[in-house]
Amino acid sequence: MIKILIVDDSVFSQRMTSNVLKKCLAQSEVYFAGDGWEGLKKYQEKKPDYIFVDLLMPGLDGHGLIKLIKEYDPSANIIVVSADVQNQVREEMEKHHIITFINKPFTEEKAQIICNMMKERDNGKP
Amino acid sequence: MENHDMTQDILKELFNISVGRAAGILSDIVQQKIHLTVPNVRILDVSSETYAIDEYISMKKKGTLMVSTLSFKENYTGKASLIFSAEKMKKFISLCLQEEQQDSEEMDFNDVDFDIIKEIGNILLNCILGETGNLLNISFKYTLPEVRLFNLSEFKFDYQNTGNSHILFLYITFVIGDTEIEGAVIVDLLLNSLNDLLTKINQLEEALYE
Repeated sequence: MIKILIVDDSVFSQRMTSNVLKKCLAQSEVYFAGDGWEGLKKYQEKKPDYIFVDLLMPGLDGHGLIKLIKEYDPSANIIVVSADVQNQVREEMEKHHIITFINKPFTEEKAQIICNMMKERDNGKP
Repeated sequence: MENHDMTQDILKELFNISVGRAAGILSDIVQQKIHLTVPNVRILDVSSETYAIDEYISMKKKGTLMVSTLSFKENYTGKASLIFSAEKMKKFISLCLQEEQQDSEEMDFNDVDFDIIKEIGNILLNCILGETGNLLNISFKYTLPEVRLFNLSEFKFDYQNTGNSHILFLYITFVIGDTEIEGAVIVDLLLNSLNDLLTKINQLEEALYE
């Protein structure tokens, strides 16, 4: 069972991400958070295998959340899902050793690539 | 081609490229073809040329507009707006959710509806600004997206009261498939940001002849 946390202030995007992930991951448990602070709390409580983080959010934004999560758990598996297409933003996020940066919308094709990667990582576990 | 015309030509082309990418994203979301018009680029004097907004916003002069806005500050200051006729929004939301289309023109929007319009605006406007920024090597620091309902005179009043003397008015309309949903995008910039952007364009133009 893969545990996933989706942090996004848009309920529409939360559901869109969750729905396409569930299509390619039969065994998954998905949790949601609406901003960075709630995301941090849920991360500490649920200890998800993967966390999908939006960047532009009220309160603690995605950038701030990623920094705090990496301080708490340097091995955290973070996937950024953002509408921001700026190269500079992508490069800045990649410095935090995220798994990947995906532009919204999170489509079935993009989800399939991520799911394959998750499965490969899962199979490689000792 | 004269210098001013060339600047407009470059701006229009950059806008065209970024809007094209955004149209591709919108097409993926609603699973329909998006028909784009040729973009208009003008620098407007806000105090004397607000009629130009009338001229362009042809979609529903007497009706309500639903406007999704993404503002930016710091290096560049301004905002981008995605404008729809509010009457068509229930149909648009159904398309986004890939549900059976509602034919109603009801205007009773709930939080989920606003959330969808805000998020779609966020995705498309990020694409338009971000791709243009990538092409010109400039960056935008965004604030949280907003969505509001306006009538046309309130919308113009909002533009007249931004404190900007001039705005860069990038305007394009699009129609979603055969649904008769028409939308428009406007980007406006504060004068300092506008001057800076024009300098970048001039550099790009100079590089063409090096």
